[in-house]
Amino acid sequence: TEWNVSVWGKRRAFTEHVEKLAELVSEKTGGEFTMNISYGGLSKNKENLDGISIGAFEMAQFCAGYHRDKNPTITVLELPFLGVANLEEEVAVSHAVYAHPAVQKDLARWNAKLLMTSPMPQYNIVGTGEARDELGEFKDMRVRATGGIGKAFSAVGAVPTSVTATEAYNAMESGVVDTVAFAQHAHLSFGTINKADWWTENLNPGTVNCPVVVNTDAYEALSDAEREALDSSVDEAIAHYLANYGALLEKWDSVLAEKGVEKVTISEDQLAEFRKVAADPIREQWIADMSAQGLPAQELYDLVQKTLSDQRSGS
Amino acid sequence: MEPIEIGLWVSGLLLATVLLGMRVAFAAGLAGLVGLVWIFWAKFGYDPERFTKALTIAVKTAGQVPHSKVSSQALSLIPTFILIGYLAYYAGLTKALFEAAKRWLAWVPGGLAVSTVFATAGFAAVSGASVATSAVFARIAIPEMLKIGYDKRFAAGVVAAGGTLASLIPPSAILVIYAIIVEQDVGKLLLAGFIPGAFSAVVYGLLIIGMAMTIKGFGPAVTGFTWRERLVSLPPALPILFVVATIILFVYNPFGGDAWGTPTEGGAIGAFVVFLMALYRGMRWAELKDALLETAKLSVMIFTIIWGVLIYVRFLGFAELPAAFSDWITSLTLSPMLILICILLAYAVLGMFMDAIGMLLLTLPVVYPAVMALNGGEYVSAAESTFGMSGPMCAIWFGILVVKMAEFCLITPPIGLNCFVVAGVRDDLTVQDVFKGVTPFFIADGITIALLVAFPSIVLWLPSLA
Amino acid sequence: MAGSAAVLKDGSLISRWDRQLLRLERVMALISGLAVFSLMVLAVVSVGGRNAFNAPLPGYVDWIEQVMPLIAFMGISFVQRDGSHIRMDLVISSLRGRALWLFELISVLLILALMLALLWGSWSHFLRSFDFAAPLWSRDSSIDIGLPIWPAKLLAPVAFAVLCLRLLLQVWGYGRALILGLARPAAVPLVQSAAEQAAAEAEHLGGVSTSASDRD
Ligand code: NA
Ligand code: NA
Repeated sequence: TEWNVSVWGKRRAFTEHVEKLAELVSEKTGGEFTMNISYGGLSKNKENLDGISIGAFEMAQFCAGYHRDKNPTITVLELPFLGVANLEEEVAVSHAVYAHPAVQKDLARWNAKLLMTSPMPQYNIVGTGEARDELGEFKDMRVRATGGIGKAFSAVGAVPTSVTATEAYNAMESGVVDTVAFAQHAHLSFGTINKADWWTENLNPGTVNCPVVVNTDAYEALSDAEREALDSSVDEAIAHYLANYGALLEKWDSVLAEKGVEKVTISEDQLAEFRKVAADPIREQWIADMSAQGLPAQELYDLVQKTLSDQRSGS
Repeated sequence: MEPIEIGLWVSGLLLATVLLGMRVAFAAGLAGLVGLVWIFWAKFGYDPERFTKALTIAVKTAGQVPHSKVSSQALSLIPTFILIGYLAYYAGLTKALFEAAKRWLAWVPGGLAVSTVFATAGFAAVSGASVATSAVFARIAIPEMLKIGYDKRFAAGVVAAGGTLASLIPPSAILVIYAIIVEQDVGKLLLAGFIPGAFSAVVYGLLIIGMAMTIKGFGPAVTGFTWRERLVSLPPALPILFVVATIILFVYNPFGGDAWGTPTEGGAIGAFVVFLMALYRGMRWAELKDALLETAKLSVMIFTIIWGVLIYVRFLGFAELPAAFSDWITSLTLSPMLILICILLAYAVLGMFMDAIGMLLLTLPVVYPAVMALNGGEYVSAAESTFGMSGPMCAIWFGILVVKMAEFCLITPPIGLNCFVVAGVRDDLTVQDVFKGVTPFFIADGITIALLVAFPSIVLWLPSLA
Repeated sequence: MAGSAAVLKDGSLISRWDRQLLRLERVMALISGLAVFSLMVLAVVSVGGRNAFNAPLPGYVDWIEQVMPLIAFMGISFVQRDGSHIRMDLVISSLRGRALWLFELISVLLILALMLALLWGSWSHFLRSFDFAAPLWSRDSSIDIGLPIWPAKLLAPVAFAVLCLRLLLQVWGYGRALILGLARPAAVPLVQSAAEQAAAEAEHLGGVSTSASDRD
């Protein structure tokens, strides 16, 4: 069996688990089951779910925030200030949510089966000029942040500004935005770190959730051995991803030092204030909207919180 | 059959239908669709019962492309650039520019022809399309040159060649298209066009001066303009400077401060300035409607080619043809510079028969990755690269080179659209006359291209600042 | 290139249909032109709002992405009507009479086949983004401010449907010319050599520039 896999951009920390998965699957099946990973050749990233639904390719990666209406249930994982502290917790909550029947039904509309997540760290912001470490200073700040994180910033008076990821560096340079919210690897690859004077280390406003899915029919058409090889490789692929990203995060501090970027710590009471103003109303709004569509919103949110506390008591 | 073989067959089909006169956009779309059906059916082992399934997947895959590919912020520069050009007519900018160029520059040997070249270069700063620029100046500049005794063929040649400057000097629709296909920074590419465009104009100017000084009976210099006359000619041409400054400042602030915004915004604000100017000059709804309709027509022609070709490119993605071609190119034992020159020569040949936009759209998806691989890959650093420039810089350099080649093709026989247009405007000129008159400019363009290849910093200096 | 070939009009049925369809096509093209104009307005509002009031247009990028399909698709049939879509007419311009109509007919039939397929494909692309049961009927939304995308996706099949009508008319027109051996059939763009086309284009641009220079 040969699968086509649609991802985008270039090979990077964000795609390492897919690369690893392909390697493991091929190894385990003695080359019987191979994956052909295409970086942008098969589809645009926002249309990867469409491609899966059509059956144009068998596996794909996408981010829930690209198109909230395509995958409303997963957006629970993109709510601001969920309280996820590290990548291991991000994996745990994502996979718990992916296993929920309502989520699987949501993705089944696209003929898609959730395979694994691509855990992303919190979207802390980099900024130019004076470091902003108090809520008052977020007022009128032009920030490149989309979706729930953007909403959170606007709740404290900041101005979320529409800029594509590739234009983020230009936008910072030109003063179109003062700050940019990204995961660390994106601050590195889109160059926003080079423009930055400071970076918030503990704002932790939230992150995006980017699952890897497979086409259901293709999955069912696999031989038992092939399916077994695929399923059994997920944990190993994720472990590889975490190790790889961990190394990148270790490098992060030295990058900050090298570029003279100040690490800004925000005080606990400022954070509490931010959560009160931004997190609670946005979450309540989300739960109300999703419940109106007949989705078990409260249940999904509780599942996230329960998984987090289980994860912490377990470790 | 291997996907790559399917890719080659389908590319052959595309070439045949284009040569036989099918509209390029639809020929590309059809080739892409046929290719996708073939690829998916091959995947099903040509099982007759699963042909419908393969067809369905292919049609649905192709059916995503039009909406998916045209809803892009960067592509919005194309219609705005086209609109700027149309509005510029109504703003009376063409005549004002020619008048100013004449009063300031016509005193040199071959002065009126030199003035024409620099007026077209100035107009290039509000016009994104070469052919339109030639058409306009054929009306304004040729009669004046004939009046003082220029050879009519040469006068026509000057206008045809001058028009090609419009696609290098921003705004340029074709540079935006290049940037989109190869996924590079539009702003930097537009900046990169400035100096090579101005450089081409200077080479044209020097060539004319040289000819004027050596050929007997060449058009005389025009002298006698007072400084007062010169100064009053400037204000009507000022909006051009304003548009140029706006576009530059939105991409890069030369004074060291922040740029004013993004290129997309810069293009639209530039159009707005010309729009106000045109209103001030008396444009009314009827003329605006004409300008909008013409803009819509030219835009939809370009966008149809874009999505048509991108259906073909989507198929190429499944066929893995671009990767195979770049593997082949890099495996050649020839020197990389020689390969690059061969690629440029191939464009010169292809351009004899094809429209510039169609040519770039059809070839770049395969050629561009190969050139990047030749340089050492898309993310290579300058130090480790073949041509001594980083991946993104190589993309910009190659972009300017192919656009210059495409422009060169607008004045070469047998299909040289700029020459056709000039001949079309003037009843007293045949197409052969214009081709004859434009011949000296082949030399100028040859020199320009050789210098751009030999000294990439002419292209890369400005974008490397931004 | 913008050279528009001549389309003859007469009292025949096909010519009447041609003019009916042309009215629709012209309106659609004008909508596309107005959409270009709106890009300019969006930028002025966004840049002005950002610099004057620190209030950039929310979802500027999302709005542009919604407007683009209007510009890209709405005029497609208008341009096909007068044969302006770019092509290489080196071969075709050397043909005359029935041979020419045969080539044109085959070419138009192939385009019709492609466009019928894309009508299906783009319609299914639209359907995947549309859900009667969902708020705003939306099953696909934009990244920043969550605009429903189905209206923009619907534009492709709508414009393609009109183009298919135009192509049917041209199949009829060329087919009629082929069978009856007409020299100058109505309702189809008459082929011009590249040079003639350029002349027509120059005529057009010249007209524009003349009217502009009138005011100089
Ligand atoms: Na230009
Ligand atoms: Na040519």
